Amino acid sequence: MIEVGSLLPVIFWGIYTGCVYILLATGLNLIFGVMKVVNFAHGEVMMIGCYICYWIWVLSGVNPYLAIIPAMITMFFIGILIERATFRAILGVGKLSEIFISLGIIYVLQNVAALLWTSEIKKIISPYEKIIDSFFGASLPRDYTITILVMIAALTMLYLLLWKTRIGMAIRATSQNRDAAMLMGVDVEKIDMISFGLGSALAAVAGGLFALQRMFDPYIGAVPAIKAFAVIILGGLGSIPGAIVGGLLYGLAEALGEHFFGNPWRDATGFAILIIGLILRPEGLFGEKEA
Amino acid sequence: MFENIKSLIEETGLRETFSGNNLNLIILCLFGLCILPVITRDMHIIGLITAAMIFIIYASSWNLLAYSGQGSLGHATFWGAAGYVSILLAEAYDLSPWVTILIGALFSAFLGFLIGLTCVRLREWFLAMVTFGFAIIAETLVKIEPISDITRGDFGLWTSHKIASSISLFGFKIPAYITQYYVITIVTIIVLLVIRIIWKSKLGIAFAAIRENELEARTMGINVPKYKLIAFVISTFLAGLAGGLRVHYWRSGYYICPETFHVHYSFLPIIFCVSGGLNTVEGPILGTLVVYLIFEEGLRFIFAGYERFVAVGLLMILIVIFLPKGLVSILRKYIPSGTGVTSVKENERKEGEKRAKEK
Repeated sequence: MIEVGSLLPVIFWGIYTGCVYILLATGLNLIFGVMKVVNFAHGEVMMIGCYICYWIWVLSGVNPYLAIIPAMITMFFIGILIERATFRAILGVGKLSEIFISLGIIYVLQNVAALLWTSEIKKIISPYEKIIDSFFGASLPRDYTITILVMIAALTMLYLLLWKTRIGMAIRATSQNRDAAMLMGVDVEKIDMISFGLGSALAAVAGGLFALQRMFDPYIGAVPAIKAFAVIILGGLGSIPGAIVGGLLYGLAEALGEHFFGNPWRDATGFAILIIGLILRPEGLFGEKEA
Repeated sequence: MFENIKSLIEETGLRETFSGNNLNLIILCLFGLCILPVITRDMHIIGLITAAMIFIIYASSWNLLAYSGQGSLGHATFWGAAGYVSILLAEAYDLSPWVTILIGALFSAFLGFLIGLTCVRLREWFLAMVTFGFAIIAETLVKIEPISDITRGDFGLWTSHKIASSISLFGFKIPAYITQYYVITIVTIIVLLVIRIIWKSKLGIAFAAIRENELEARTMGINVPKYKLIAFVISTFLAGLAGGLRVHYWRSGYYICPETFHVHYSFLPIIFCVSGGLNTVEGPILGTLVVYLIFEEGLRFIFAGYERFVAVGLLMILIVIFLPKGLVSILRKYIPSGTGVTSVKENERKEGEKRAKEK
């Protein structure tokens, strides 16, 4: 019998790493909902977010959790730039073009980052590194709590933006029906740019949290991005609640996989679950079945 | 017998391929390939071209998969697995690399069959994801405990078995790198010819039909999962062939390590195919030559570091936006009669013209 007490830290750890996937997957889903494109370079956008947080932290010495806010704003504009320069041109051309243009962006962003910041491994050191709180008898590092709170704050902000503002209404309208939104006077191209920027800003939050969790270099983006994509597939394409549930499940599966099978199995466990999930339910856990 | 061959040539459109401007171009290319080692004996240049040949096989295997309307983000699974099988067998049983490369490629086709069984029902994004997952799992497998005893984990494996070693001919001593160049060139030409024949056969027409419209293909009585699976198996076999050739040739150092399964190697064939032009035989050739030779190696002398990868990325973006049919479309301007484009619509147009003439 496995002791529950020993599993609790593993579960917390799973949720803690799941936060990054949730934020990435939500951003991807937002972009997919509006533009119907999948940005495979989302992980690289996150990686740039890591470096911007790192830069702000090194140069100004502020609390790294606060550095996430300016990083978000910067990434919002970088996201707008990426959308305008690349994805706008191939909108509606075909699914393969999206993969290809993403590959191009991946190469550009990775190597620009390597040029700017070298390919050395870096890490942001958290000011709360050694502080451990105890909750209900389980000891929980304070970083975990703050990470989860940051994730919840970011998603709440997104919720308020989407449901309480006019721009949010336009974004929702565009993702429901692009043509109808256009007829109602919504500038869909502007909405494309804004939602891509929002997705990138969420990726910057994920990047900041990632940089605090683990070491990073310009090549870390690919695996988290593909994991976020797996989360989306598990949760259903375009569904934000699905992304949250899927992200939590995926993070837990990874943590448990590492706990039971050992460190090298971390990445493989998640993908094994994805593959089994897809074989059993080819349309995703929450996805609607297409005719 | 002779009639059979004649009808095969007719049926597969080989005569059409080898005629007019095409024939001249092909003969020119073959002649150039034959005399290249006479012009230059520079080990680096010949090594580069040989490496490009292997990547042409690899990219063409991906292209074949794309021809049937499927995509894979994890082709490195097959190319790496075949390399490992080949190197392990060659070392353990002292077999000729030709046997082990073939076994490796068959193993990779078998893997492709198993993965394909689960994958062919999935739609494009999902398929790409799952294949990517398999590449990660493969990389993990060769690194972990029971298997890493054989594969030596991160250290990788060496082999002493080469696909061709130095020979002496008419008193001349031909070094190993030149014999390997010729051997790999011949294999590449055979592979390209086979792909061409497949595309022009009934199998290829079925692939194209599935790619253009899966639902229509189904209503025409094409067993879609079966043909998708066939495409998957052929593609993985060829990817395995490329992976096997790679480990037994000098520029890889007769060495393989888990790095082979890396994302980079899954993305390379996609980049080569797209920049060259999808669904054409010559696309991957052109794409590999331009991207691999010029950008990955040629620019090394001008841009030393990461700049050349930025250049590759920018080139990709520009090609996707401005040349959606790839670099081949530039070539087409000068050599109008296509050697490989066989979209269903084009076939229909040709048929229509034929009928109009008969009338």
